[in-house]
Amino acid sequence: MPRMVRGVAAFAVACLAAGGVTLAPAQSGDDPLGVGRRMLLEDNPGEIWIDKGKALFHEKRGPKKASLEQCDFGMGPGKLEGAAARMPRYFPDTDKVQDLESRLITCMVRLQGFDEKDVVKRAISPARSSGSDVEALALYVTSRSNGMKVDVQLSHQKEYDTYKAGEYLFFRRSGQTDFGCVQCHGEANKRIRLQDLIHMTSKAGAQEVASTWPAYRGAHYVVRTMQWRLNDCVWQMRLPDLNYGTDYAIALTLYLNRNGNGAEMRVPGFKR
Amino acid sequence: MPEPMKIRATLKGDTADVRILMLHPMETGQRKNSKGQIIPLHFIQSVLVTHNGKTVLDAQWSQAVSRNPFLGLRVKGAKAGDKISVTWTDNKGEKQTDEVTVAAAS
Amino acid sequence: MKKIWLIGGAPLAGALIAAGCATYPDAATTRQIAEKMVHESFTASPAHAKRLAQDRSQQICSKIDGAPLTQEEAAEVVRLARASIRYPDSGKLMGDWKRGDKLAHNGAGDRIRRGKVEKRKENGALCQNCHGLAPGEINVGNVGPALTGYGVQRGTSEAIVKLTYERIFNPWAFTPCSNMPRLGANRHLTPEQITHMVAYLLDPASPINKR
Repeated sequence: MPRMVRGVAAFAVACLAAGGVTLAPAQSGDDPLGVGRRMLLEDNPGEIWIDKGKALFHEKRGPKKASLEQCDFGMGPGKLEGAAARMPRYFPDTDKVQDLESRLITCMVRLQGFDEKDVVKRAISPARSSGSDVEALALYVTSRSNGMKVDVQLSHQKEYDTYKAGEYLFFRRSGQTDFGCVQCHGEANKRIRLQDLIHMTSKAGAQEVASTWPAYRGAHYVVRTMQWRLNDCVWQMRLPDLNYGTDYAIALTLYLNRNGNGAEMRVPGFKR
Repeated sequence: MPEPMKIRATLKGDTADVRILMLHPMETGQRKNSKGQIIPLHFIQSVLVTHNGKTVLDAQWSQAVSRNPFLGLRVKGAKAGDKISVTWTDNKGEKQTDEVTVAAAS
Repeated sequence: MKKIWLIGGAPLAGALIAAGCATYPDAATTRQIAEKMVHESFTASPAHAKRLAQDRSQQICSKIDGAPLTQEEAAEVVRLARASIRYPDSGKLMGDWKRGDKLAHNGAGDRIRRGKVEKRKENGALCQNCHGLAPGEINVGNVGPALTGYGVQRGTSEAIVKLTYERIFNPWAFTPCSNMPRLGANRHLTPEQITHMVAYLLDPASPINKR
């Protein structure tokens, strides 16, 4: 979806040709559409939501009129640098393994006094909207790991359990489509219609998953998150509604992110 | 309600590499809402970029430009500390101006 | 992973676990944990919740990391698949290729959003999502082999019509644990719809068999 602006159309192309964008080897989407998405990756509109997320992070919000500055993403309250690169992980205060989004919800409820049902209900914004607070916050917090390597560690028993559960779920087939994740994401150079599929059972594929969410979804004009992505896959698989921030999604995310260790975080990604 | 732009201007030699992200619906006037009514035309009509007050880009856009547009340009003869100002005006007469200082090459 | 060495130098599993040394759970425990997650992570009416349950074949076919099927498992999946095959009441297995053409390009049908199933005239056959179809179509997937020219090579004998029908109704009768959905057996498509798919694939007049 090239954006042709009179007089400056050549800019984006020249930028790519001049080596302004580094193309990682064996990445999904070496087809023209994939190349196009990579050209749109740099300076994609999602970046505007990083600033929105930062403002929301520091703003005193909710019934408790508190900011999220005391939120602990696993490295201590308010410590954001590198936190997203190490998630999902176990949290003693909730006694569970949480991904970034569910952890954000925990903090919004506990620190700011928001009602969990309300936050979850608005977490996924409508296409073409100004986006949800959760999407902006998730992007901001994740952006604080940009440039760092994905480094998901397993040490607590629940982390081991959740990782294996995520693996099990990745291959679990059900419903009238007989799909598990692997049916579409288990082979290289595959696509559904013209959308190339990430080969998630390869190291490079897992790394791409682990390092590109949240992402600007071009067709929706808003930032989308991993929870949204899993919800959308489950929809196509003809399964029932996947609830936001639940263990099914967290387990799959832990499985994929851990397998993607070593990838360099780079958000917002850009998806079609 | 106009939203602020995100602008970056980095010096590369004597050229400022300017990247601008704008938030704007850029409605083509052809889409219909769920009730079947046409969503009115609403798009950025002109963009003006100045360098230390001097016009360096004066563009006329149409509704063909996508929602949340990106504009990139290179300004010759720039120095660190120079002011780059961007103003867009849309067909409803709404305007948004944002300004940055050219950052030294990193 | 913390290890606590007792006197004598040999770590004891129980002491290790008690001391917080964690380890991967075994397959049975993993299954228990994961199935509980499935049970608790979705909002579904009892009817829709059935979509989350696994039948015997799906359980066999959910091998982790490309682990192979045993001979017995493969045989069981094939046997169950064969037993599932149903034919249309008319007994006529070759329908209307024009209807099949529409169905082949239709990727919608039976998806659930906020508890409601999408309202469509009929379920799409989803073919275009994964298979190449008529020559010249570019917006086609490649998860499965291209079906371009399918009928050209095969003709329209009774045997091939029956085979094609059965392959669509339940591909696992031929390729156990294939990535392809068991569209007929799972009732995503009706037997009548499948006859139209057969015609779309085999009828010489169908676009898929044109040059």
